[in-house]
Order: sequence, then C-alpha cells, then structure tokens
Amino acid sequence: MIRRIALWSVLIALPLLLLGAAIGGVLLLRQGGLAPYRLPAGTAAAPAAGDAAEGAYLARIGNCLTCHTVRGGVAFAGGRPFRTDYGTLYSTNLTPDPNTGLGDWSVEAFRHAMRHGVSRHGVLYPAFPYANFAHLTDADLDALFAYLRTLPPVEALPPPNDLQWPASWRGALVGWRMLHYRPAPLPPAPADAPPGWLRGRYLVDGLGHCAMCHGTRGAQGSLPTEGYLAGGRIPGQGWYAPPLDARQLARYDVDQLADYLVTGNGEHGAAYGSMAEVVYTSLRHLRADDARAMATYLKSVPPHGGDEKPDAGRFLYAAAQPAANPHNGGRLYQDHCASCHGDSGEGRGHDYPPLRGAVSVTAPDPVNAVRLVLYGGMPPTTAGNPRPHSMPPFAGRLGNAEIAAIVTHIRRNWGEQDRPVSAADVAAYYGIRGD
Amino acid sequence: MSLAPSTDRETSPVNAPHPAPPRPGACARTLARLACTALLAFGAASAQSAEADLRERLAACAACHGERGEGVAGSTYYPHLAGKPAGYLVEQLQAFRDGRRHYWQMVWLTQYMDDAYIAEIAAYYAAQPPHTQAADVGAPALPAAVRERAEQLVHHGDAQAGVPACTACHGAALTGLEPAVPALVGLPQDYIVSQIGSWRDGTRRSKTPDCMARIAAALSPADIRIVAQYLSHQSPGAHDRPAAPGSLMPPLTCGDLPHAQVTP
Repeated sequence: MIRRIALWSVLIALPLLLLGAAIGGVLLLRQGGLAPYRLPAGTAAAPAAGDAAEGAYLARIGNCLTCHTVRGGVAFAGGRPFRTDYGTLYSTNLTPDPNTGLGDWSVEAFRHAMRHGVSRHGVLYPAFPYANFAHLTDADLDALFAYLRTLPPVEALPPPNDLQWPASWRGALVGWRMLHYRPAPLPPAPADAPPGWLRGRYLVDGLGHCAMCHGTRGAQGSLPTEGYLAGGRIPGQGWYAPPLDARQLARYDVDQLADYLVTGNGEHGAAYGSMAEVVYTSLRHLRADDARAMATYLKSVPPHGGDEKPDAGRFLYAAAQPAANPHNGGRLYQDHCASCHGDSGEGRGHDYPPLRGAVSVTAPDPVNAVRLVLYGGMPPTTAGNPRPHSMPPFAGRLGNAEIAAIVTHIRRNWGEQDRPVSAADVAAYYGIRGD
Repeated sequence: MSLAPSTDRETSPVNAPHPAPPRPGACARTLARLACTALLAFGAASAQSAEADLRERLAACAACHGERGEGVAGSTYYPHLAGKPAGYLVEQLQAFRDGRRHYWQMVWLTQYMDDAYIAEIAAYYAAQPPHTQAADVGAPALPAAVRERAEQLVHHGDAQAGVPACTACHGAALTGLEPAVPALVGLPQDYIVSQIGSWRDGTRRSKTPDCMARIAAALSPADIRIVAQYLSHQSPGAHDRPAAPGSLMPPLTCGDLPHAQVTP
C-alpha cells in the first residue's frame, strides 16, 4: 500500500518537477541566462582609460547625482533613502573610496554592474536602472567610470537597506528577474527617422532612463514593455509622471520641448515635483543638440492607449462617491487662482502656466493638481529661467473641501476629467515627506 | 492726388503746430534739467518696478511671511523676514536647500534654487522696513518673577550655565547684527521655542562652530520658555535696523559670525 502511494507520488511529482525546471530554465534564459551572474575578471589597478571630461557630462545627463547623493551630503557619496512598497533602500557610494565606494572596482566590473545589474555584492535592486544602462556604449561606460575615478574619495557607508522578506534577500531578485526582466537590444532606427532621433532614443532609453518615472509600473514594481513611457504614479515620490508620446507632447514643437528640458519652463508650463529635480540636477546641463535629439525622439513615440481617454479608475480616489461639495469651485477659482492663471485658465506667457491642457489638469491621477495647490511650487532656477515665478501654498489657508472644489472645477473645465476630487482625496495627499 | 493723406497728417495732433522754440542756451539748460529729472524719475520708477516684479515672483513666500516679509497678522508661528541681515537670510535659504534645516514647506520651495536667486531674494527682504508686530504684543504682562529671570538671561546671560547674554551677539536692542545675526524681537513665541528645540535635537544647524547649538543645549527647558515668552513681547520700532558690522564684538567664535573669528 505504502509502496503504491510512493510510486504514484513519484509518477506525479516527477513530471511536475521536470515541468517546473523547464519553465524555470526558459524564464532564466529570457532574463539573460547565467551570463549576468558570472562576474568578469579585472584589476582595479588598471588605469581608467575613458574620457573623464565626457564622463562628467554623461554623469550629469544620466543624473547619477540625484540618487547617489543625500540632501546636504557629499556629491556621489550615496545614502539617499528610497521608500518602496517593500521597504527602504539606500543608494551606494560612487566615489573612489577603496572600502566604501568604487575604489577597488575594475572597469570590467563597472561595465558589468551597469549592464547586468550584478556586482560582487550580489544582484542589484531594480531601483538601479541597469535595464536602461544596458544600452550604453563601451566608450560611454568607460568615460563614466573614468570620471567617477576623478572624484575625491569619501569614506561613507550607506545605512543598511531596510526591506521586508523576501525582498531583503538578494537571491530573490533572480526570481524577480525571471518574472519581470527581459533584456533586449534597441531595435534598429526606422528608415525615415529624422536627424537626431537615434541619439535622442539613446539618451531617453539609455542614459536618461526616463521610463523609470514615466513608465507604467506592473506587478512587483516591474516595468513591462507595454507600459513603456505610458505614464503613472512614480514609486515613493508622491507625483504622477505623464505619458511621453506624440499626443501628450503635441502642444510642443521640437524646439519648445528641447527648451523646456533645458530651462524647466515654457509657455506650456514649468517643471515641478520630481521633474524640477531632474531639470535642476541634470537636464539644464544638456547640450543644445542633445536636447533637440531627445525632443525629436520623444515626439515620435506612438500615442498610448489609442483614442481612449486614460482610465481614471486605476488611480485610487479616497472616496468612491464623494459627498456633494458645498463650495463653488468656479467662484473660489476666481478669488484665489485667476489673477495668475487667467479667467479661462489661459495662464500668462512664461510666468504662469496655462491650466488648459496642463498635465496636472488632464491627468487621470489628480495628485499633482492637489499637491501643487496644497504646497505651491518654485520651478528650478536655470540659465533660461534664473528668477522663476512661484505658486503660493494654500494648505492652511483653504480647507480641504475648498481645495477639492477648485481642483474639480479646473479639471472638469480644462482637463475633461469629470471625476470629482473629494475633501478626503485632498486629505490623503497631505504632508511633505522628506528624505 | 486728392487721396494723398498729407492734409490729414498736418492737422493730426501729432503734427500740431509747436510753440515758438526757445533760444539755444535756454534750450540746453531746460533740456538738461528735463533729462535729469526724467532720468531720476525713470531710475526710481525702474527700481520700483524691479522690486514689484520680484515681489510678484515671490508670491509663495508672501503666503506665510507677508508681501514685504513683514509677517502675517495673527500668525502664531511664521517669523518676519523684513529688515533681517541679508547674510542671515542667505544662510537660512541655503540651510533649507542643503539639509541644515528641515521645515518641509521651506525645503519644498528652496530645494531647486541656485545661490544667485537666493542672494537676490535675501537682499529684497533685508531692504524692507523692519517694522513688524510681535505676535504676542497683546498678551497679558508676564509675572514679575518670569520677567526678572528673562531680563537676566537676555541682558546678562547665565555664566554658571555657560549661557551668554542674547544682547552680546544680537545687539543691545536685540535688532540683530550685520551681516548675519538676526533680530530676536518681533518673533512669535512658538517659533523661538521651536528653533531652540531644533538646535537641541540637531534638526537646525548653523555653520560650525555652531554657537547656538551649544547655547540651546545649555538652556533649561523652563528658561527656554521664559526667554521665548519675553522676547515675543518685544516689538521692534519702525526704523530699528540691525547693528552695524563690527559695532559690537560677540564673545563667541561662531560659523555665522565671520568677523568674530579673530577673537581669541
């Protein structure tokens, strides 16, 4: 009897095990096989051969600084916290300190970590955009490494990551990669690609890693192909990033968009939130031809979601059926907003952004509009906009229901977003969370 | 020919007959005077419009600090900015940006701001009349014992606890000291308590050596409340500018007092 059960168990279990192994093998192959986990040989003693001056520019445009510097800390010395659904991650020290930084790294190890997301510390968390950096050329990777070698070494160990199990175990990341990571080289440029398109795509998809914020996230924080530059809530940042495609950017011509990237401002609005940070630490240093190339490529991205209006339902609203708002949003708008944004939301030149067609107004997710009204804003100072006009905060001056009424009014009239924002929604977006 | 517009033009106000021209010498004098007046008026007007232009840009600041940094009536927390030394204001804006102060609404507004704009904003508020209303001017008078202890601390310090007099650095009238020590009068009590508390727990830091952190650590919680209460009852006069640089020699060597660093 027992023998028969054992026999049947083996007969059932064996094919299941084989099937599991086969599926695992296929998934492993699809995330790049075993090659990512074989670390290259190489000695740190070898001099960095790359072009350090070009590397300084590339580091700016890749915006290494923003993630690898804690507010008020030494540049590139790491330690900035990243709050995720799985706990808090801390960025690492990129200065050439031998104990806590990249001081004893070889250029081969650097290239490998940038391209495959694996270093001697194990598999790196996908907050590090290796899927994008995989597209970088050898010359650019070597230039970046050569530049990082010129930084003054700083002994600084980031705090240990504070993650839940199993995310706290780096081995689990192999499983994550099997499910969610599909490395592939960029397809060849279309025959009719305009000048600069290829360079633009290289900057957008490679170095600039725009999709880290502007992509639609899938399960477990992944970035599936179908969400490419399709927009969404930025993890841990409390901001919504719009889709980047020909329709979303139709308001801009290529020159205007290039100008916006470098100045953080324009007649269609100013950069705020996470984008203000990207402009301030990175994009304002873009060379003019690179800015134009990025704009050219971004305006060529096919529109997402066909002709449908983006689905507001996929963003969480605090109240399913908000109570009728006692306030008159139109009148509140006239009292508090119209002097800058105009009676019809038309804005005023480069000083005050138009609300008609603005991302915060048309987006399915109301978080940007609510947070801008609550806490105001100051666009980044750049050479093209050295003395920005600011937006005053209304938190504490207007109640949640009043703010909800204003945002609902604006979004209904100039954003075609019918879904009302409630006082509870406003309350849900309260609070500035610092690093 | 009849369509020629010449007749219309001649009768238009622009080409209306001028009065007889004055003699050449008189003309030169009148012109010079006119030009001079015009220039002066233009200069004043453009300075005024430049100031109005900046004021418009700083609507976010005005929400809590008032249009000219004079404070907002009834505020129980936000400090005034008007008339504080520009060096002090620069240091504070940079501190919010660079992680030495952590009031998040201020961090939010300053985090992507460069030094040039910070300097311009600081200069604007520093140049405003320092007339502010202390938030607690209407509060009932302090009990005699509290007042006595506060005056002792403010004017003489507490040598035993290692606390210098406030007036030693902030000026005899507590209106600050150029270029970087702020006025202590005209501030809400809660703001003062909060700042001293922040120095104690390290969430507000000045440039090292951080004298205020040392003083804050040496003050007892009861003394902090007493000093804050007393200071918040004092209101500056309309023309009380910070003391001139070098007009008094602070007893401490502090990061924010560059001219005092030579003292032994």
